[in-house]
Amino acid sequence: MNILVFTKRVPATQEEELRITSEGKRVDLSKIPFKVNDWDNYSVEEAVRIIEKSGGAVTAVSIGDTESDEVLRRAIAMGAKDGFLLERGEILHDPSTRATLMYNFIKKENIPFDAIFTGVQSEDDQFAATGGILAAKLRLPFVSMVIGIDAVEKDHMVVRRELEGGLQERITVTLPCVISIQTGINEPRYVSIMGVRKASKVERKVFNAAQYEENVSSKIEVIQWVYPQKKAGATLLPADIEMACKELLGILKEKGVY
Amino acid sequence: MIVETKVFTCIQCGKCTGSCPESGKTPFNIRMLMRKRQFQTKIEEGLPWYCSSCGACTIRCPRDVKPSEVIIEIRSSLVENGEIPLALQKALENTFVQKNPWGRARTKRGDWSGKLANTVPHVRETQSKRLLFTCCIQAYDPRCMVIPVNVAHILMKCGVEFGILGEEEACCGNEIRRIGEMGLFEELEEENKTTFKEYGVQEIIALSPHCMNVLKKEYGDMGIKISHYTEILAPLMRDGALSMGGAFNKKVIYHDPCFLGKQNGIFDEPRDILSAIQGIELMEFSRSRENSLCCEGGGGRMFFEVETAYQRNAVVRAQEAFDKGAQVIATSCPFCLMTLEEQAVERGIMVKDISEILMEVVEQ
Repeated sequence: MNILVFTKRVPATQEEELRITSEGKRVDLSKIPFKVNDWDNYSVEEAVRIIEKSGGAVTAVSIGDTESDEVLRRAIAMGAKDGFLLERGEILHDPSTRATLMYNFIKKENIPFDAIFTGVQSEDDQFAATGGILAAKLRLPFVSMVIGIDAVEKDHMVVRRELEGGLQERITVTLPCVISIQTGINEPRYVSIMGVRKASKVERKVFNAAQYEENVSSKIEVIQWVYPQKKAGATLLPADIEMACKELLGILKEKGVY
Repeated sequence: MIVETKVFTCIQCGKCTGSCPESGKTPFNIRMLMRKRQFQTKIEEGLPWYCSSCGACTIRCPRDVKPSEVIIEIRSSLVENGEIPLALQKALENTFVQKNPWGRARTKRGDWSGKLANTVPHVRETQSKRLLFTCCIQAYDPRCMVIPVNVAHILMKCGVEFGILGEEEACCGNEIRRIGEMGLFEELEEENKTTFKEYGVQEIIALSPHCMNVLKKEYGDMGIKISHYTEILAPLMRDGALSMGGAFNKKVIYHDPCFLGKQNGIFDEPRDILSAIQGIELMEFSRSRENSLCCEGGGGRMFFEVETAYQRNAVVRAQEAFDKGAQVIATSCPFCLMTLEEQAVERGIMVKDISEILMEVVEQ
């Protein structure tokens, strides 16, 4: 089983107060640390677990600048055999553009695979569309929001999807296919710094993304970054504890909570 | 940093187990682990994570085995195989990305200084090149953030010039090394040392005994004088540089942090500060100074819970303080403060960092 896993280096924005610059044209990421996209971490782990059990190889692929090599080294330390970097200076926000670039790369380089894993979405752009578009371009079946892979056979997989309302859907998907992996599907292993250093000795292949940009044109365009509108609604209670408790009880009674 | 351990010289005398705050009440037995290490037999999963790195075993070992360092070696192998508790994994990943185990934004590391009336300069702008090293928990935790604010305020009142690094400060790595993540520790050490060198740092005042320990003993000789803040404040108070306008009329019992006391021999300075405060009736625990009972917050234990339920040392400590009639447990380590507080408050006892007591009595 050969599995291609797409992995992305993203800014760790969860704890940050982001600043929009250049009159809404950019977000200042100059002081923000970067990390592997959380969903992709689970995807790499799931792929590695499959090949550890059934044999085969995992190849990690990333689109990005030279710094994205970091997520490839990490994937190799987790158990991937190879790492391919489609090097490109400018960030691609449009999922259709990313998917087309991946499609062209796979076709032109004749990359063999039985399955392609992507994360459900990336933490930065959150379109959750790349996997689906790639599957459509490759004319392959696509399963989204996969929270469990119950069986891996030569010609199919049995996977579970997460649905609304607490339901799960178990389905059979024929191979080759594209799957988007949801977080929580597994517990990704810890990758030590020593492990990443050892992985650095495995050669990662760098491809110039410009070679694969045929028919790559953005279908969407970022017009402006804006801050969400601030809403009023917080009620400040008085500093005096007795007064505060009295007022709080009044509010709770009024809202029917107490 | 490589510490040479001598596990094959262990004679199984049991002094380590006798001094260990975990052995006897948890499945952890340090002497048994040394034996298993000698014979290279399997060590049960989970056992090495009980150690709180208090260092008592290494201090007391008559054969220089350094059992607490052997634990780090064992943990290190587990880390390399990815066999670590999930909570510790998160702490390590957070430290890799944000340079602090809590994963808070690195850009906010210096935010505490905004609570001061006066601006704290960057260390490069100081004449003395004296650095106040904040520590992760004190930079981010709302309970502990008051400590750097207090110490900075007191140093300013005493006319001691100092600066900070703000977001350029990275985790010191003391706990990271003890968790066994040697690669990450090396990266943190390298980053901090490069920063110290870039700004010509001559002296470091560490707010946490854990940071002081690693900067002083495990970063190698940097040619920088490193002290805990109590070592700076004690002589200042003795010389009358800090004028106190009030009294602290309470029975105060002092808890020696392991990394300040038994591991670095700083017992008197915290007591000297407390004794100089008017109104304090200073008391001692039955286990104090070299024999102080570990709070169990070190060695990565701040970030995860061990599996076995047992009576925590914080309970023993808080109960003894209560039985002796203490009104306040004073300490000088943020980890001790955090681990002791819940149990002490349940018994009507306050836990305060020494700087918090000082702030109540210094002339504003």
